[in-house]
Amino acid sequence: MKRLEKVALISALIEKLYGKGSWCGETHIQKTMYFLQELLKVPMEFNFILYKHGPFSFDLRDELTAMRADGIVELRTKFPEYGPSLVITERGKRLRELYRDIVSQYNNQLSFIVENIGDKGVVDLERLATALYVTLEQLSVDNKTRAKRINFLKPHISEIEAKFAVESLDSIIQRANLSN
Amino acid sequence: MAKNIHEIRDPIHVFIKLDSDERRVLDSRPFQRLRYIHQLGLSYLVYPGATHKRFEHSLGVMELASRVFDVIANKDAITDEIRKMIPEVSSDNKLVYWRRVLRMSALCHDIGHLPFSHSAENELLPQGWDHEQLTMAIILSDEMRDIWSSMTPPLRPEDVAKLAVGKKKATDKEFSDWEAILSEIIVGDSFGVDRMDYLLRDSYHTGVTYGKFDHYRLIDTLRILISPGSTEPTLGVEEGGLQSSEALLFARYFIYSQVYYHPIRRIYDIHLKDFLKDWLCKGKFSTKIDAHLQITDNDVIVALLDAANDLKKPGHDAARRIVRREHFKVLYKRNPEDMAQNVEAGLLVYEAAKRRFGIENVRYDKYPEKGSAYDFPVKTRDGRTVSSFVMSEILQKVPVLVIEYVFVNPDMLKDAQQWLDDNRVNIIEQKGDNAL
Repeated sequence: MKRLEKVALISALIEKLYGKGSWCGETHIQKTMYFLQELLKVPMEFNFILYKHGPFSFDLRDELTAMRADGIVELRTKFPEYGPSLVITERGKRLRELYRDIVSQYNNQLSFIVENIGDKGVVDLERLATALYVTLEQLSVDNKTRAKRINFLKPHISEIEAKFAVESLDSIIQRANLSN
Repeated sequence: MAKNIHEIRDPIHVFIKLDSDERRVLDSRPFQRLRYIHQLGLSYLVYPGATHKRFEHSLGVMELASRVFDVIANKDAITDEIRKMIPEVSSDNKLVYWRRVLRMSALCHDIGHLPFSHSAENELLPQGWDHEQLTMAIILSDEMRDIWSSMTPPLRPEDVAKLAVGKKKATDKEFSDWEAILSEIIVGDSFGVDRMDYLLRDSYHTGVTYGKFDHYRLIDTLRILISPGSTEPTLGVEEGGLQSSEALLFARYFIYSQVYYHPIRRIYDIHLKDFLKDWLCKGKFSTKIDAHLQITDNDVIVALLDAANDLKKPGHDAARRIVRREHFKVLYKRNPEDMAQNVEAGLLVYEAAKRRFGIENVRYDKYPEKGSAYDFPVKTRDGRTVSSFVMSEILQKVPVLVIEYVFVNPDMLKDAQQWLDDNRVNIIEQKGDNAL
């Protein structure tokens, strides 16, 4: 995928997250993008590793910074108790419109992700995304083993919290399979 | 028996102290090589004072890393919540071990750098390699393992390697919360001591004073905190250190704009890359440790001078441009007016100039800032933890750094400028799917 096509898809994701009432900080974009790429196989080609709040892509982080440099997104204090939100500018909206074909090609996937996890906060997103990471890493392993692995990788997530996250994830995966 | 303490004078930190175990690392072959690697590449051709080396920078990073460690691991600075999440901070033995690992990782964080600290690693090293991979390979080499194992306490080489390069480069390694914080002390976006030292040191040597900030105050106010809305520990700052954090981030902005992104420095880097691609065997540096340790800036300078004076030598043209200061000149620079028309304006100018004047006469350079927005937790005087972005109107306004230049052969500059004046609108307002 060309850079500006990716940028248009990221912009569309951010707009949809806003529609769902998300705070839309960098972590929200990181985790929803992880689901979009790894669960729904949208070919964004970002390299995710386990890092801050679970799966994290340095490429995506740098792309969001480049989008700020290009005037496509900007930072705003939308929720004063938390950190900055990323907001699409008029230039970003024009770019997304120019690339409407690719946005509509992946519109169902974007909508699914936003519908299912778009309103989650950082804590829930970290747990869910780490659950997906562990599930993809170990494929078909039972809930308890996956919860233990999450707790091992992220000790600040208790095994009970991790188990809830695994169950929620399985239900999202099931819905994703049904919608395909 | 008490270990001998060695003191090294330093223009930035006055005295840098290390014990005899650490001195063995300093005296090792990989570390001594850094005496011959310029910290700022060919920047001394623009800023004559910038002849300092990775050697003293690495010592400075070690010094600052342990200062930060002593502040954040101080029992009085750690809350019960953090103590529960990070058990290492409650064990004196573990603190002694990890302080040593941190210092050694900081000392060795740059030992994989190529000559002239060259940034075009993706073109000058085989695929999948960069200087951080070389750094890890050297730390894990037999030569260095012997040193790690003879220390008191003995250090696990894998721990030293992990912290030296951080999670971004040690992608296959798992980091505990504690290890993530320790690596953040060295390479972190907001408070990494690598950055603190190079801003202070590069500022001192270039004579560009913008790089200075109150690092004493900043370090004293660093804390392990939990970001608002999160449950993960990270490095943050007490409210009293917020102004020092702002000063650090502005120092970074100004010194990047003035020094690191200086167009002449950038084109010399490109000419050096062109030279190295012609001069090196198969156009790449070796990733074998012995070969890496044997090549320094000194070897490259000798080859550059030789090639500049001999038409038949590989890389003659690029070498001549560096040695005789016949570098390419700026034809086009990214600007807000053109960006409003087309976010890919610079690239389009480059492509058009290449077609018009030939690929050998045009060079393109684009480097956008890496990393996130400056958002870190701040502990307020009334005990709350809030986002720095909310607390600081200044941090909200720090611009994103990005450079984009098109350079042209100086013999063609006048023609190229006329050509660009005549065609600029058509090139930038190109009809197509990338026009805004």
